[in-house]
Amino acid sequence: MMLIVLLFIWSVMGFLSTYHTFKQKRVLFDDHFTMTICMVATMATSFVFCLYLILLLPDFQVVSVSFGLWIGWKIGSKLRNPAKLNGLYNGTMGGIMGTMLGAVIQNPALCNIPIKSEAMISNNIYVIAFFAACLYTVVLILIRYSFRV
Amino acid sequence: MEMFTLSGFVCLDIFLYVCFFIYLSRKRKLIGFQLGMNISQVMGGMAALLSGIVLILEFPFHFTLITIVSTMIGVLTGALFGLLFDYQTFITGLTNGMMVGLMSPMIGTVLDAPDQIIWLVHGLFFACLILVMISIQRS
Repeated sequence: MMLIVLLFIWSVMGFLSTYHTFKQKRVLFDDHFTMTICMVATMATSFVFCLYLILLLPDFQVVSVSFGLWIGWKIGSKLRNPAKLNGLYNGTMGGIMGTMLGAVIQNPALCNIPIKSEAMISNNIYVIAFFAACLYTVVLILIRYSFRV
Repeated sequence: MEMFTLSGFVCLDIFLYVCFFIYLSRKRKLIGFQLGMNISQVMGGMAALLSGIVLILEFPFHFTLITIVSTMIGVLTGALFGLLFDYQTFITGLTNGMMVGLMSPMIGTVLDAPDQIIWLVHGLFFACLILVMISIQRS
């Protein structure tokens, strides 16, 4: 569990610094770029955060889905008005998908996956959480690089 | 479904992807960013979906590894098709491929009748290819 908490803190720190950059530079975005960035940032962020939340709190599925919705609303309303709808939709989608993946890797019998032993399940959880953190870091680096271009 | 048929499908998909990539890279000056964004999304998502379902049916005991492999295939395909056009198409295709690739092995594990789904997904893939060809010709 300690590794998941550390990865969650790492993702939150990356997200907060990117969100701060959004706040500073949102005047410079044109329409098309706003929609693209809103879609990309909301989808990746809500997916990763909801995956970690469902791994940390397995009994509160509603909390993680509504957390994804809240992230979409937050990023979308930071940018512009049509982006709010886009962010809401993509945030909810990412939240539902992250919750589903977290529920399946915690209980593989849901999907008929032939993994029985406890050690294999916890190993799977750590590998997928670490992989999601790596992917999210790559996406954040690409988003921050796109502000500079 | 037999191993031999699945391997044939994998070879056919890789061949079609390479041919379509060469075709697109010769025509990319004619394609605007709107169509380019749709092409990179469709191609990245389709590659992730096909690889996830086919690989999990071929090796059902390696769920985590298959998830990582199909995500990497989706990310790389979306990024390659997006890099033909623009930075924004690149990042959109990358994210869409990642999202579908993380989900697709789950669909493969719950199937009761895998043959029908494999035929359906391949039919969808060919229909997408034909639609993209038509819209390139008309643009």
